[in-house]
Amino acid sequence: MITKNIKNRTWLLIAVFSCIAVSIMNSCAETQKVASKSGAQLWAENCQRCHNTPSPSAFSHEQWVTIGMHMQTRAMITNKERDKIVAFLSQ
Amino acid sequence: MKSSTTLIKCLAFSISLLLIANITKAQKATVDSALIDRISALEQQVADQKPGESHFMVVGLATFGFVRSKTIFTPVGGGSQMDKKNSLADADHYEVSPMLLWRHGSNFLIEFEPSFNGTSIGVNWGNISYFAAPGLIIHAGYFVLPFGMYNKRMAAGWIDKLATDPKGIQLSGSDFGIGVSGGVPLGNMKLNYDLSLTNGMQLLSDGELQAAGVTDNNTGKTVTGRLGLLPFSNSSLEIGLSALSGDVGDAGSKFNTAHSTMYSADLSFVKNFNPFLINIKGQYNWVNVNQQTYSKLTDSTAYSFDNKSKASFAQISVRPVSVDNPILKNLELAYRYSSYNTPNNSIWGQNFHENDIGLDYWLSWRTVLKCTYARAHSLSTANVSAGGTGGVTDTNNLYLQFSIQF
Repeated sequence: MITKNIKNRTWLLIAVFSCIAVSIMNSCAETQKVASKSGAQLWAENCQRCHNTPSPSAFSHEQWVTIGMHMQTRAMITNKERDKIVAFLSQ
Repeated sequence: MKSSTTLIKCLAFSISLLLIANITKAQKATVDSALIDRISALEQQVADQKPGESHFMVVGLATFGFVRSKTIFTPVGGGSQMDKKNSLADADHYEVSPMLLWRHGSNFLIEFEPSFNGTSIGVNWGNISYFAAPGLIIHAGYFVLPFGMYNKRMAAGWIDKLATDPKGIQLSGSDFGIGVSGGVPLGNMKLNYDLSLTNGMQLLSDGELQAAGVTDNNTGKTVTGRLGLLPFSNSSLEIGLSALSGDVGDAGSKFNTAHSTMYSADLSFVKNFNPFLINIKGQYNWVNVNQQTYSKLTDSTAYSFDNKSKASFAQISVRPVSVDNPILKNLELAYRYSSYNTPNNSIWGQNFHENDIGLDYWLSWRTVLKCTYARAHSLSTANVSAGGTGGVTDTNNLYLQFSIQF
């Protein structure tokens, strides 16, 4: 009985989390204010959430693309934010 | 006679013009040929350096330090014992971790980070991610569980503002499994999610949970998830909620029905208040294991306790990033309070509190020298009759630490 309750609770947790995630993903849209942000602004705002803002000269373009993907798995930035930040750092 | 001279002059002039034209043509042909050869060589060079779809790079970090430590243990009934040590490359705070990032196109990424901590070589994570769609990353392998904020974002030496990790907060660790994650815009706000299905932790014979180095010990799987909300458009504030649920007992053992549920709330606030950059971080973990019967170390008789633990930290750091003085702008002052309470009446029960204060000097954006003073107090709430140790432990540590990211 206890095991059954535990399993029910686990499935309930997955279901609730999935519902929230799907509903939010379906309703997502950014405002003009957010959409118009430059790569430099996003670089300043997002990188410093965890660490110092990196120097653009630290890596090459291809390396920044790789690091951008790595950072996306950590800081959960959006795709648009990642692309703009990488473009800014690659200049 | 005059007309003959004029004719000769005209002929000579014409011949000269022809000669000049031929020489110019020849030179032009030579230049064109050299240019074409050069262009061909450059084209070949570019073709040779074509980046292709696979990109491999090595980054990583190294942390090295010194600790001067004084520990006073006062057992029940008095009679203090003092232990002092000065240690270079202290095992708790030394780390060399190269990180291998291998990208294939723009959809696949392999991340692998082995780590040497002074005594052994381990793996922090090794997983593959597929960037399936905007806001959807599917990952599989051995990865950091999405529980709280500290483990995934703050634990690296060059990121952590203090020389130590807050004790008790890193329990969930890394595990084998699959997961989905992503960040999506939400008007002026942002939301991120991270959900994983993994093998799960192991309940040890004394009731402690072990996350590291666990082979799959039962048929149940552990679900872990975190939702993060960034309510402001400048991403300065993030609030996260996490939960974990899974079986933790070894199959066929007396812990067959053991199950753990964990919850966490975390917060991050980073904003410029000219000339200061203020950075606030915090996390609170609740860990629960359902009722189980354990064996006393002393006589192997059965006993039980309410297996609930809490761990938390709150941290603030201030850096005058916008002042003109080049030395002052690279200094950062940090303070952290951390605590954890493990179950009363277990053999590992204690109430632990630690205050850390540190001054950092940033040599570059990814290189830091840290000086941290840590003062900790721990009161044992252990079951002495079951084999636990009663008493009070006070620790004073001074750390000097260098950390760099490559």
